[in-house]
Amino acid sequence: MKKKSIALGMAVCLCVGIFTGCGKDGEGAQTVQSEQGGQNGQDSRETEQPSVVNTVFNGELERDVTIQVLENDTAVSKGYFAELIEAFNEKYAEYGIKAVDANMDQYLDLANDGPYGYGPDVLYQANDIIMQYAEGKHIYPLPVEKMECFAQVPETAWAAYRIDLEGTVYTCGVPVNVQAPMLYYRKDLLPEDWETAWDENGNKIPDMAENWNAMYAWSVRRHGENSSQYGYMKSLFDVYFSSGFLFTYGGYIFGNNNTEPADIGFSAGEAEKGAWVLSQLASTMNEECIDDSITTNAYSKLADGTYFATITTPDMYSTFLEEMILVYEEEGLSKDEARAKAEENLVMTTLPALPESGDLTEEGASFVDTKSMGGVNGYAISAYTKHPNACLAFVEFATSYDMMVRRSELLGIAPARNDAADTAGGTSQLLYNNLEAGNIVLMPSIKEVSQIWTPGETFFIDLAKDAFRPEGEKKYTDLDAMKKGLEGVDQQIYDAIFTLK
Amino acid sequence: MRKNVSVGKILDTTITYLILLAVAFVFFFPCLWLILASFSKSGSIYSFDGFFPSQYSTASFVKLFTDTAMYNYPKWFMNTLLIAAGSCALGTFLTILTAYTMSRFNFRMRKPMMKTTMVLGMFPSFMGMTVVYLLMTQFGLINHLGGLILIYASGAPMGYLTQKGFFDTIPRSIDEAAKIDGATNFQIFTRINLPLSKPIIVYTALTSFTWPWSDFILPKLLLKEKNLYTVAVGLMSLDETEFARFAAGSVFIAVPIVILYFCLVKNMVNGIAEGAVKG
Repeated sequence: MKKKSIALGMAVCLCVGIFTGCGKDGEGAQTVQSEQGGQNGQDSRETEQPSVVNTVFNGELERDVTIQVLENDTAVSKGYFAELIEAFNEKYAEYGIKAVDANMDQYLDLANDGPYGYGPDVLYQANDIIMQYAEGKHIYPLPVEKMECFAQVPETAWAAYRIDLEGTVYTCGVPVNVQAPMLYYRKDLLPEDWETAWDENGNKIPDMAENWNAMYAWSVRRHGENSSQYGYMKSLFDVYFSSGFLFTYGGYIFGNNNTEPADIGFSAGEAEKGAWVLSQLASTMNEECIDDSITTNAYSKLADGTYFATITTPDMYSTFLEEMILVYEEEGLSKDEARAKAEENLVMTTLPALPESGDLTEEGASFVDTKSMGGVNGYAISAYTKHPNACLAFVEFATSYDMMVRRSELLGIAPARNDAADTAGGTSQLLYNNLEAGNIVLMPSIKEVSQIWTPGETFFIDLAKDAFRPEGEKKYTDLDAMKKGLEGVDQQIYDAIFTLK
Repeated sequence: MRKNVSVGKILDTTITYLILLAVAFVFFFPCLWLILASFSKSGSIYSFDGFFPSQYSTASFVKLFTDTAMYNYPKWFMNTLLIAAGSCALGTFLTILTAYTMSRFNFRMRKPMMKTTMVLGMFPSFMGMTVVYLLMTQFGLINHLGGLILIYASGAPMGYLTQKGFFDTIPRSIDEAAKIDGATNFQIFTRINLPLSKPIIVYTALTSFTWPWSDFILPKLLLKEKNLYTVAVGLMSLDETEFARFAAGSVFIAVPIVILYFCLVKNMVNGIAEGAVKG
């Protein structure tokens, strides 16, 4: 009898387990699945959005609702976000629509929190993150053709937010700003005779900011004169910043515009020349270039004059500036004087050009534009929101010309809108131009991109270490060895993606 | 009269103290470094003169409590205090009741329950995190400090064995004498055993307080809003350029627990001594 009872209990448990899988899917999953309405694939900007997108975004604003918006920390700390939601709330007060700060970590987990109602309604993230959510059907496709900003944003930026699901192309985000590596250097640390000896074309811009050969030469000289000081410094292991050197010489991440994960191209073309450039630059640095030490200490080391230059994203400008102000204040300047001096001495510009040969010591070299890995940050709407039309109104408002210009003024970012980039001028315009010219390779928007980092880091660490190995123990002694190393990276990425698929 | 001390004894004492000093240094040095770093004037780990800061100031602590636009440390601190105090009160109550019941009463499933709780206690707490998350979503207790208190307090009795061991050392003859005098079980517990158990109550309260005070995983899992963060979660969310704030926050979080320890340790020692005399 006892055994029968146990068996019966186990059978009941088994049945419960089996039927557990028969429940309803989450709201978000249902939403996107229902959107695949048999439309044909659409690649053109002029084609219509799938009708189901129009069903969700029917233009009827929900009334008396509160939408939660997740912005990035910089926008919050600089006060831009407060301005944005205040302006939006004022405009939509008659509908009772109110936008509030989602008050969450900027690195959210929409996939886990969204289905339970704890995610934001509108989120601001990088394109690769948004598109990973898109693949998981956690965000809504948007009727972008109907949006005011559509014509102002370049096709390259929109492409970063497109996804093809079972033959139907959806656009799942609205580009806001372009992120790509920028060169930061100290004008006051240039050699005294730079205008005569380091400005070959006489354009009043130092050669170090125009080509990597001059940057390399100045780095060698500065470190040679004082071993505690350096020229260009950057953690080379960082794939985001280092891979641009490979792309300049023909390398790429995935084939077919970064959509074909089986075609991996870190070693494509003459990418080994880019690796050679990196190894030459490593020889002018110290061993901190092997790990992320330089990335984290660059702010204070550039400020105190230990480093002459580094590269990072444009949104870090204010951090460099604050560090320099602190140093100048310690030297006895007032707050205003320190700020003025820091703004005068800190220069942010686009990356210098690379020599065609890859040889940083070549004299009379011809140069090519440096390509870099970049991203487009933008807004997306959670598939778990109950107020999609109010959210769309917010995105429309936040990507308007006025707000984009204001965002650029306060945060120093490069707007993805052409007209806003024109108004912002300076580096924003340069970045926008670089994006249009194809010099910014946008991070792939497919989930396989998560497999490129570790193999890439391993190679770049090894390459950086090579600069500090004794002569007989170096691994990458010529271009062929570098090519083989990069081919190894391609193979490792391929294995990581497909071995368990 | 001068006491004769052998060379071996001196050598033994010296070596023992040297080892103790070395061990103390290993544990104390990181704390010292963090405390000094939190008083660094520059606020950057990279501007240190060698291993320690070159200039000192209290600016990081001032910033910690005044610059709350992005990182609201005072709020995180109060959240942590609320969770830890709530868990401490409820958890201690439940643990003491459980331990006393297991120690003093014989009932049918007592032994199997003891074995089961002992085996369950061997599993790491994070093993059930997914289930805890799903349950809390169903009860609507995500983003509620009360949810955390509930979990900490309900999990606390699992570690009742230490407390049971203490109750086992209080002679049952005292209970029997009280019973003969007409005392009820509740009266025996509250009037006789509880006053004798001050040390273990203090110990239970301290451990029930420190666990939620320093826990990271559970608050990270259940608290999504920044204003509800505990200090551990908040400090982990700091930007990489906020080292000074991190150091100051880490140092300050130790203050209440140190105060609590010094306030309660006297009761622990007194209680233990008292128990020893009576025993």
